[in-house]
Amino acid sequence: MSYIAALNKRLNILYGGKVFAAEENGCLFIKGELSQWQEIVHAGLISVNRKKYIGLVNEIRLSGVEIPPMKLPEFADNTLEGKSPEVLVIGGGIIGCSIARELKRYKIDVMIAEKEHDVAMHASGRNDGMVHPGVDLRKGQLKKKYNDIGNRMFSTVCTELGVPFRYVGQYLCFMKDWIRPLIAVTPLYWKAMNVPAEYVSRRNLNKREPNLSSRISCAVFFPTAGVVCPYGLTIAYAENAASNGAILCLDTAVLDMEVENGKILSVLTNRGRVYPKLVINAAGVFSEDIARMAHDHFFSIHPRRGTNIIFDKKAAYQVRTIVSSLGTIDKKAGHTKGGGIVSTIDGNLLVGPDAIETYERENFETRPDSINNITVKQRHTSPKLDNRDIITYFTGVRAATYEEDFIITFGKFTANLIHAAGIQSPGVTAAPAIAADIAKMAANYLGAAENEQFDPIRIPIPQPSGMPQEQRDALIRQDENFGVIVCRCEEVSRGEIQEAMRRTVSCDTVDGVKRRVRAGMGRCQGGFCGPLVAQIIACEKNIPLEKVRKNNYDSNIVFGDNKEVI
Amino acid sequence: MKVPHFDVTVIGSGPAGLAASLSAANEGAFVLLIEREARLGGILKQCIHDGFGLIRFGEKLSGPEYAQRFIEQLPKTSITIETLTFVTKINRQADGFMITLVSKDGIREIITESFVLACGCRERTSRQIGVHGRHCSGIFTAGTAQYYTNVLGKMPTKRCVILGSGDIGLIMARRLTLEGAQVVGVYEAKPTASGLMRNIYQCLEDFDIPLYTSKTVTRVFGEGRLSAVEVSDVDEYMIPIPGTEKIIECDALILSVGLIPENELAESIGLPMDNRTKGPVTDQNSMSMVDGVFCCGNALHVNDLVDYVSESGEAAGRSAARYLPKKRTFAEIQTDDSFLYVVPQMLSITELKAPVTFYFRSKAERVKTRLTVTADGREIYKKAYSQLRPPEMERVEIDFKDMRITTDSHICFALAEVD
Amino acid sequence: MKELTCIVCPNGCRIVAQMQDGQYVFSGNRCARGLDFAVTELTAPMRSITTTVRTVFQEMPVLPVRTKGEVPKEMIPEIIRELAKVLISEKISIGETVAADILGSGVDVIATSNQLKSTEEKE
Repeated sequence: MSYIAALNKRLNILYGGKVFAAEENGCLFIKGELSQWQEIVHAGLISVNRKKYIGLVNEIRLSGVEIPPMKLPEFADNTLEGKSPEVLVIGGGIIGCSIARELKRYKIDVMIAEKEHDVAMHASGRNDGMVHPGVDLRKGQLKKKYNDIGNRMFSTVCTELGVPFRYVGQYLCFMKDWIRPLIAVTPLYWKAMNVPAEYVSRRNLNKREPNLSSRISCAVFFPTAGVVCPYGLTIAYAENAASNGAILCLDTAVLDMEVENGKILSVLTNRGRVYPKLVINAAGVFSEDIARMAHDHFFSIHPRRGTNIIFDKKAAYQVRTIVSSLGTIDKKAGHTKGGGIVSTIDGNLLVGPDAIETYERENFETRPDSINNITVKQRHTSPKLDNRDIITYFTGVRAATYEEDFIITFGKFTANLIHAAGIQSPGVTAAPAIAADIAKMAANYLGAAENEQFDPIRIPIPQPSGMPQEQRDALIRQDENFGVIVCRCEEVSRGEIQEAMRRTVSCDTVDGVKRRVRAGMGRCQGGFCGPLVAQIIACEKNIPLEKVRKNNYDSNIVFGDNKEVI
Repeated sequence: MKVPHFDVTVIGSGPAGLAASLSAANEGAFVLLIEREARLGGILKQCIHDGFGLIRFGEKLSGPEYAQRFIEQLPKTSITIETLTFVTKINRQADGFMITLVSKDGIREIITESFVLACGCRERTSRQIGVHGRHCSGIFTAGTAQYYTNVLGKMPTKRCVILGSGDIGLIMARRLTLEGAQVVGVYEAKPTASGLMRNIYQCLEDFDIPLYTSKTVTRVFGEGRLSAVEVSDVDEYMIPIPGTEKIIECDALILSVGLIPENELAESIGLPMDNRTKGPVTDQNSMSMVDGVFCCGNALHVNDLVDYVSESGEAAGRSAARYLPKKRTFAEIQTDDSFLYVVPQMLSITELKAPVTFYFRSKAERVKTRLTVTADGREIYKKAYSQLRPPEMERVEIDFKDMRITTDSHICFALAEVD
Repeated sequence: MKELTCIVCPNGCRIVAQMQDGQYVFSGNRCARGLDFAVTELTAPMRSITTTVRTVFQEMPVLPVRTKGEVPKEMIPEIIRELAKVLISEKISIGETVAADILGSGVDVIATSNQLKSTEEKE
């Protein structure tokens, strides 16, 4: 029996004729209608066959539910009408921004279209910042290929871009005593996988991570695990791309494309129609939409929500590195998101994430059951986790394909298109490697020469609180604003907040400032500094306070002068 | 360049710090007063409502007026004042403490024999009480909303829900109503209101603003700006009851769900802290368990009346000025479990010459209760109360003279019903 | 029977007024001021008003003020409306009158902050 016939038989049994599979142009399509989103995802996962088909497209409809359309920017105009960048990068997450920066190593004219008001607003700003050693990756996966190369590039990239980064290492802990002899030999497996690993006895674990659960019997240590600020890195990539000449267009959404004879002729955005020679699809949860517009629809995204919890720096003593326990890692269906505990680059404790399938691609809500489930689970690893130390939590949505792997390829049917799609964990780790490869692919396609003017170095915003005293003093004497502390929880000065708005990537929101200089990320969560930051933005941008926004859309903070508004 | 030396450094110029610096100077100490804002007065600058100073001055003053009573005395003293100055580090030295300061002029160090922490407190945030949903704009703690309204002259809301019946929330309910906003209601998760009775009367009842108890906000809705909140009933453990959710449209959620003493500096120098007050453990002279480090006001424990904050500051300033390094021995104050806390937590035995002022909060609402203080089983103090409420801090003075208190003495505070 | 909370001092006594032989009898107050308050509250309730008024000064866009004494409670909305028209253009001191005899109440409205004055001194 052919694969399709066997698959249809199976789908029939499971879903009683509501779902069927068919091949089209070398791709496997599953169609029909089901009443539960979980069933739709399951149907997709069991249908995947990477050997036989280019990709899986899941077109099963969800009964009675309209999948929310992509949220569009507030305004539309013609400022980009008629522009013809050589390369249009769609998406301003870490993938899009790193690609844009790598493209500038060549003499290529680059435009990035990002629909939000800032970069790193989706998954790139909503993850745990882990640089993965590749514990759960398999040979043959693009994830593994790019993760391994990216991991080795990380130190250099972060030095060039002025982004803090540390290899802290990760402990994978085991609870059962009988498992010890088996675990002791696993480093050989990882060695064969090119992942440095070391068996750690209970006694040694106690020396290196003294506050973990006494129920842990042994661990494996992966020294190439690291921590970085993922949105900080994205912003750094974007700034460096922009200072090397890339044009970053925020509030710019791709609405449609004109495709003829296997080539994209033009791309319609809310700011006009542009005419790129080559399009790069780095659109995250919307990468399937872009593929569809480009007549290159051979994969589907099934979004997967994850929540992370940030604990007070006071709790950071509990974990010094990155720790996860088996039994808390969910080895289901090719993704291992049971989460763990990370001592972040900023000195907080980050706990999570969880993983929940969802059809809502931009729903960043947090839910109490997530917080409960995550803390209960991670308390097996660190029993001292106290919910009263929680200072905030956030949710991101992963762009997972059914193959649960990256899509890094030219279009299958459309010639002037490169996909950097389906990038979920370990996307941050893989970004430098993905970007380098895609830039090379693009340069070859366009026949572009190298750009001798390319400057890989980005000078970061000064951080006086981290400087040695003399350096800090000298900085203040140059500009007294660096001596006025605005955010006292994180010791952020007025000078840093002003500087955040004077970079090559525009920033004019309270959260944009927060992501760049940490004002509002401390214990009081902006209670004291919020109004001060808003005032500094109003002054810098010469706008009234009521026009200052927290983020996107209509996130104004105040309504106007209080004797006039009502 | 020579590092400036001070006898007493006061960190914070709110009511506690102002009182501490003046009383220290009054004792003849050479005082430095440090303030991170541009102006003195701390939180009083934005507390434009009245009711301050009823005990201390016998007048009903607004916050700024109360602060001015202290501020206008400063020029008569030799107190050195540094505003827009931030303490970044404190290090213990042989001859006191070295404090590193950041300001427009650069980084400076000063040496002080003793210092007083008068840093006040911060507000509990929405995340800390488990408000879930999207992080939209329009979610304010009451103090922040007060800052926008009273200092910047801006409207933070046109129609709001207030969560928490603490005094700041009640005051803001009235304030926002006077500025023309609609306050849908004040929602309190506990079965009884948290704020002072007179504030419930003159801020809510006066304006027909409803107060709902045993309810809390569980979710917020809004893409950019808040558009609605979800309110649920809660049980006696303050756990939301499923099925009781109601959606209320509003453009702001204002939180008055508790204050937390600000103690990052205290923790950075390793002061032993009291988990119940969230402030440092102190003796009857406001000195922490680290010699030469004093604490007062809301940084020590959250007060309700500014008059007691000033009293606390004065005592700390006086003690700091008189401070001479010498070994202390302590008797610990014990409490039965009917208290939220009692401050001070320790008695320095050699300094028991003057009556000791204790501040305490009852854990639960009580009527017809007697406070009994015993030393080694002997009753040494008692006071009857017709009513005790957790939000209303109580104050008693006990004289330990001639009681022969030693480090082994058991000093115990207890509350019991009276017939 | 009417219940009210005394706002004179922090005690916040809950006072109960019972009608007896055509007159109110009060209980629950712990002092004479509370009794006075309760009587006034039931016949002609009075309140002090605290609010802000606009200024022309960027460094202090609003100035806190209060009534120097109490006004009839029902006058609060109109007094607030009247004060919303005020615009301070001079750097006045704490205690200075911002609006005299507001709406004929016999009560002045005074500035409660000295901040405008102290910025002038700094310059």
